[in-house]
Order: sequence, then C-alpha cells, then structure tokens
Amino acid sequence: MSTTSFFNFTFLPKYWTMFVQGIEYTLLLSVCAVLLAIIPAMLLAILRLSKNKVVRFLSGLYIDVFRATPLLVQLSLIYFGLFNFFRLPTVYIFGFINIAMFVPGVVALSLNSAAYVAEIFRAGILAVDAGQTEAARSLGLSSSAAMFMVVLPQAVKNVLPALANELITMVKESSICSMLGMMELMWAAKTVAATTYITLGPYVVAAMIYFCINYPASKIIEAIERRMRRGDQR
Amino acid sequence: MGTKDKLISVVDLVKEYNGGTVKALDHCSLDISKGEVVAIIGPSGSGKSTFLRSLNLLETPTSGAVYFEGINLADKKVDINLHRRRMGMVFQHFNLFPHKTVMENIMMAPVHLKLMTKEEAEKKAVELLERIGLADKKNEYPNRLSGGQKQRIAIVRALAMEPDVMLFDEPTSALDPEMVGEVLDMIRDLAKAGMTMVIVTHEMGFAREVASRVVFMADGNIREDAPPQELFGNPKDERLKDFLAKVL
Repeated sequence: MSTTSFFNFTFLPKYWTMFVQGIEYTLLLSVCAVLLAIIPAMLLAILRLSKNKVVRFLSGLYIDVFRATPLLVQLSLIYFGLFNFFRLPTVYIFGFINIAMFVPGVVALSLNSAAYVAEIFRAGILAVDAGQTEAARSLGLSSSAAMFMVVLPQAVKNVLPALANELITMVKESSICSMLGMMELMWAAKTVAATTYITLGPYVVAAMIYFCINYPASKIIEAIERRMRRGDQR
Repeated sequence: MGTKDKLISVVDLVKEYNGGTVKALDHCSLDISKGEVVAIIGPSGSGKSTFLRSLNLLETPTSGAVYFEGINLADKKVDINLHRRRMGMVFQHFNLFPHKTVMENIMMAPVHLKLMTKEEAEKKAVELLERIGLADKKNEYPNRLSGGQKQRIAIVRALAMEPDVMLFDEPTSALDPEMVGEVLDMIRDLAKAGMTMVIVTHEMGFAREVASRVVFMADGNIREDAPPQELFGNPKDERLKDFLAKVL
C-alpha cells in the first residue's frame, strides 16, 4: 500500500501502544490544565468585576495578555524561561510521562485556559439577575457571601456548556505540546509517521482518536446539563 | 412623638444619577415609628422605589442620612450587613434563589449568619410555611410555584430573619390579578400583628385600608404625608389631586 494513502494503517500492529500512551498523555494534560484553571479563572472573573480599579485593571491585563498572544509562544516562554529557573527532576510517572516536561506543559496550558475561562465566568456572573444579589444582600449577607452562595452557583450552571467546550478545546490545543517533545497524541502520530515513512495514516488515526474523545464528551456534558436544569428559571 | 419609638428617620435624602444630571430623590425627609404601616404611592418615576431601596442602602444616597434606631446607615463606617438583617425586604420580582429549595431559600441567611442553628431555622421555616398553608411546598424549587406562592415565600424568607421592619417594593405588581389577593391578605395579617412596614404600591384600595399613613411622592419629592382618610379624602397637593383623579 502506498505510504501516502489516507488509509494506510499498516503501522498499527507495531506502533499502537504509542497511540495509547499518547491518548493517556493528552487526557492527563488537558484535564489537569482545565481543572487547575477553574479556581484562578473564578478569581480573575470576580476581580474583573470588582469595584476597585487597580484590581480590575490587573485582572484585565492578565486576561488580555494571555488571549492576545499565541499559546505556542506562551508555552515556549514558560518551558524554556520559567522552568529553566525552577529545574524539575526527570521523574517518570506511569512509566512514560516525564514530570520535567509534563508540569511546564500543564502550567502553560492552565495559565492560558484561566484567561479564557475567566471570561466565561464573567459572562456567567453577569447573566445572573441583579435582583439575586440584592435579595441576598437585603438578608444581611456580605457581598462575598452573596457571590459565593447565590450568584456563583447559578453562574456555574449557566456556563457549564461553555466550560465543557473549553475542555474539548484543551484536548485539541494540547497537541501544540508535541512541538516541545511532550509525548502526547500528536507527538505519537508525528513520530510514527517519521519512523515508518507512512505520511498520512498516523495523522488520520490521531484525528479519529481526537474525534472519539471530544464528540462523546460533549454529548455527556449536554446530558448532565439537562439534568441540572431542575431548579432553574424564576 | 418621642425619638425613642422612631424606628427609621430619613433626613434630607438626595440621590443623583449620572453625576447629578438625574435627580431621583430631592431632599426627602420622613420619620417612621414602630408599628406604623406607611404606604408610598405616586406616579412611576417619582422616586418611590429609590426611596424605599435607600432605607436599607440598596441604593447609596448621594447625600443625607438614614437613621435606623439612631444609627446613620449612610455612614460608611457602619457595617450595613448587621442592620440589613433586621430590615426584611420583598421585591417586585420575588428574587427567590432558583437553585435552592423553598426551605433552603428561607433557612440560608439565618443559618449562614449564625442567628439560628439549622434545627431552629428549620422549625421556624416550617412554622411560617404552615401559617400560610404552603408547608407541602417546602422541598420544591421556586420554578414549580405560582407567582403568588413565590411572593408569599419571599415574604416568609424575610420574616424568618425576625426583622424589625419590612420593606415592600411593589409586591403585587408582577402578579397575575387572581394572585394579588393572597399576597395582600398576608401583608394585611402582618399589619394586624403590629409589624412595622413600608410599602410601595399601586394598590390604592389596599393602601387606604391597611396603611396608617400614606406618603405621596412626585419628581423625587415627598409632596404629601397624611393618614389615608385625609390623603385620599381631602388631598391638598395639586399633583396628588391630579394623580388620584387618574387612578381612582
């Protein structure tokens, strides 16, 4: 079979384990990145809506810088710059994930994701009726108690679909980490293609795997969202 | 009237928007004593809601003072949260928390603010719900209730804090006509029980029947302040005469 055929999968019997490891690496990378981004993103969103001008400016600056520069640039600066000062030991988890590479990758992805998720949370908070805050404040709750007990729970519910999309985006975006040699799914495809000279098949396999992760994930989150609708609407 | 039973005293209250271009309240003063039921009426845009919302500082006054039991709430050094918990507020659009059940709506503030234990708050909530015949709804979410039920539960939520005064911001304006009665009945019962209340309303018949005093506002001013028989029977202010001719 031609090495340039889309459907040349003859490499699979020998190299399939690389793809499996790639999936594990990709999932671990993106899930860690998004989970670590959620709390900073919430804080950024709350600060962005603060009455204090300085706080609002700083939060806005962070969000703008991370949204207006390419992820690959951020990743390179963090990997070659920041983690050049804080050298991590070469320790392998699960036998193939090198901490010295994985941690900078997660840090870069979550710093980037925090900026986007912050904007998602901000929109979600603004979408909650102002009357909710007023009702909470009129009962004597502090502004932070009103935020955390009344507004945020509703905001989080509002933004669940957008958050799910962010996770899906992250699964795809994390492929950029292959540029620095992190052994995730895209790296596996690239390496197999280079080793076997089969130029397209490995990428087709990678594309199919990405689809098989992201499509069901979006469906599952849709279902969860529907179940959470119970108490909605005023 | 001695200062001792003066519960709320508003002095020279001014509220401006957009750097003074819009004057919502123009030097308003009003005293409210314990046990009084004050109805505030007036055309829309007259500042009556702004006035009511200034009483618990949901609107920050531009100048002037709001004394609640002798303490000026407009003073920035005052911890407004400590005083708000003793001023119940009921909104036009209910503002129940949609992500919480009826019980959670009622119990949240007293428990969080450590005014009651969870058990005490639960007992109080059930007792209040039983009194209005909605105890069977205690585990429902607000979206499963009618407008009238929502508003009565919003009143219960405020009452659970055992407030010294209740503020009502057009409590029946967002209700279907057939549900207005049940909410007014509940407010009437509160009046009979001696609760101090300030009610912004468009229900003239209700104001006349329940209020001990009626305040007429127009253009951010308090134009007339009198017992209902006098205000409705013998209005002095021209704007009030005009207003009453239109609504009665």
